[in-house]
Amino acid sequence: MLLKYLFAKNENIPAGSAAVFFGFSSIIWFMIGTGLGSFNAAKLAFPDFVTGVEMFAFGHMRQVHVLAVIFGWISMAFAMAMMYITPVLGNTRLWSEKLGLWNCFMWNVALSLGLTLMWTGITSGREYSDFPWPLDLAVAAFITIPLAVNVWMTILKRRTQGIYTTNWFFAASTFMLIIVFLVGNLPEYFHLTGLTEAYMTWWFAHNVLGLWITPVAAAIAYYVIPKVTGNPLYSHRIGHLHFWSIVVFYSTPAAHHLMSAPLPEWLKSFASVEGVLILVPAIAFVSNILLTMQGKWNMFVENLEVRFTVVGVLLAIPLNMQGGFQQTRSINWYVHGTAWMVAHAHLALLGFSTFLEAAAVYLGLQTLMKRKLYSLTLGNLHFWLLLIGFSIYWISMTMAGLIQGAGKIYEVPYIDVVIAEHPYMIARWLGGTMVFSSTIIWLFNMWMTARAGTEVPVGRMPHELAYER
Amino acid sequence: MTWVFNEPLSSLSQAETVQRSKELWEAEDLGGITEDNNRLPVPVVALVLLTVATAFLTTFPLWGQRPTAAIYEDYIKAMDTPEIQSIIETQGDAAAMKRIVDMNKSSPMAAQLGRHPVDMDDLRVLKPQIEEIMKHPTVDLKDYTVVYPQVKIANFEGNFRPDGKRVRQQPWWDKGYTIDLFYLTMFFLGVTITVKRLPPYTWQPRHHENDRRKGERRHNP
Repeated sequence: MLLKYLFAKNENIPAGSAAVFFGFSSIIWFMIGTGLGSFNAAKLAFPDFVTGVEMFAFGHMRQVHVLAVIFGWISMAFAMAMMYITPVLGNTRLWSEKLGLWNCFMWNVALSLGLTLMWTGITSGREYSDFPWPLDLAVAAFITIPLAVNVWMTILKRRTQGIYTTNWFFAASTFMLIIVFLVGNLPEYFHLTGLTEAYMTWWFAHNVLGLWITPVAAAIAYYVIPKVTGNPLYSHRIGHLHFWSIVVFYSTPAAHHLMSAPLPEWLKSFASVEGVLILVPAIAFVSNILLTMQGKWNMFVENLEVRFTVVGVLLAIPLNMQGGFQQTRSINWYVHGTAWMVAHAHLALLGFSTFLEAAAVYLGLQTLMKRKLYSLTLGNLHFWLLLIGFSIYWISMTMAGLIQGAGKIYEVPYIDVVIAEHPYMIARWLGGTMVFSSTIIWLFNMWMTARAGTEVPVGRMPHELAYER
Repeated sequence: MTWVFNEPLSSLSQAETVQRSKELWEAEDLGGITEDNNRLPVPVVALVLLTVATAFLTTFPLWGQRPTAAIYEDYIKAMDTPEIQSIIETQGDAAAMKRIVDMNKSSPMAAQLGRHPVDMDDLRVLKPQIEEIMKHPTVDLKDYTVVYPQVKIANFEGNFRPDGKRVRQQPWWDKGYTIDLFYLTMFFLGVTITVKRLPPYTWQPRHHENDRRKGERRHNP
């Protein structure tokens, strides 16, 4: 089907095709990414599990898991949301469905190639920007730039005078991602080393989270909650505070990842203050969305998309409280380099953002395919497995991190810390495997929705029919 | 786009601009989504201000900064005194360390010494390194940081001394904070200007005929 449309005329491609292909691609990558995560967690919990094969060594597989979920699941779900939501908010069609489909096709090709190379050990060796430089350029040329062009052109061709908050974030984030990606990989293009490499690597890593994942996930909430509840967004003004504080405060704290490195102290002080100020956009975002829910809190229980969204928004509170304070000199001294950070990263990517992306994919696929969700029961099962699995993971890794921190500070012998960590590693594997299982259920449910979902009548929204047979 | 400044906290836009914004706000349908014009709730404003204050207070260099070599100078000098040597021989390291700490209770460095305690083994590691630095009469020990087990030139970038070398000491007000103040000022100024160009928050749009939440204010009947 995808191949057929790749070579069709743009006007002959059904509206929403690119979003649908991005949606299913994202779920498949989520399944692959969490499957790899579950496998890696098993290796940490049971050190004798699959040994002797270099390809399956933890060092080969960890970064494949990380990039599969960031550039496969999360970013493709974002692309899906952009292909679907950007035109809707401008009362228009996507600028080019064909570009969107090629974007989706090349994205899958480039990511598969990049992850395969990484798996075999061909990597730049820099966390979060592990791809070798030719693939970095391929990612820019085939993934980030085409996506941005489609989003910007759709906004330019809109049939509304104003631009809704969600589209501010989409337009700005796609622009910022290109800059972050091209500039962040400079150490590789020009073989920069030492502190410059370390700083640029973390500038890249921090900004992929801060200028891509966080704002786009928030933009999804700005769409889903008013759209599904029917309430007006509580405040256009708070939207401004949120948008500009993300741009100003989230683009600058990269040095807080390197608080113990010999960077200039003024840079650390600067970055650390900015790191705490990340709470400003968080406060604006959470208050705006939760106040928009006024009078519709019953939907938090009754509606799957709202439940996913609100849980994601609520998880932004601990996420930003942790993120804001764990990077200050005194706390970072204790938790740096421990499983606390792994827990925090999963709170951001598997907690806050995944719940928001799942809401967008659920809502978008049902709306575009005009099919009611095949099974609400499976949808609920997906939600609870994901939430409980994530919670087990987050809590166990936070505790493990605190133990490691204590071990580090009090100079406990390393092997004693490893032994103390063991039960938490098993809990981590259990939680991660629950998340992986939930993703298989989700893929089945969405596939069956496409194949056998009840058709949604024109003028109705899928969620309005959720409890109708 | 004309600006007015007679009531800057209410609006920076002319009455006609505000009127056009109101009409557009109520007429426009952004894919079925509408927006209200509520102000930032007061508790949220308080939270934002608290965050700004907290950001500076929790990141102040005092919290988490490394010890300078200077704070151990008196400890190291005391190690060679007959009194301490005698305690080491008769009562052991722990008693000698306790005596050294007691001898420096009134030191101007007492607060920093309290935050960065050491034992006799630590001092034995640091002693030769610090003594090596002390041999140079023009060198200030405060320019050196203890990154245990090493003593290193600190990575602060202060003003230049007459001899061309940089001051390597933690200023009470780090220049990173000055840049932060600049960022914060520009941010709050920018956001304030942006939102004050909108219709005042005392006005709320009515999004459809039956929307009576804020009285009869519809601009597109």
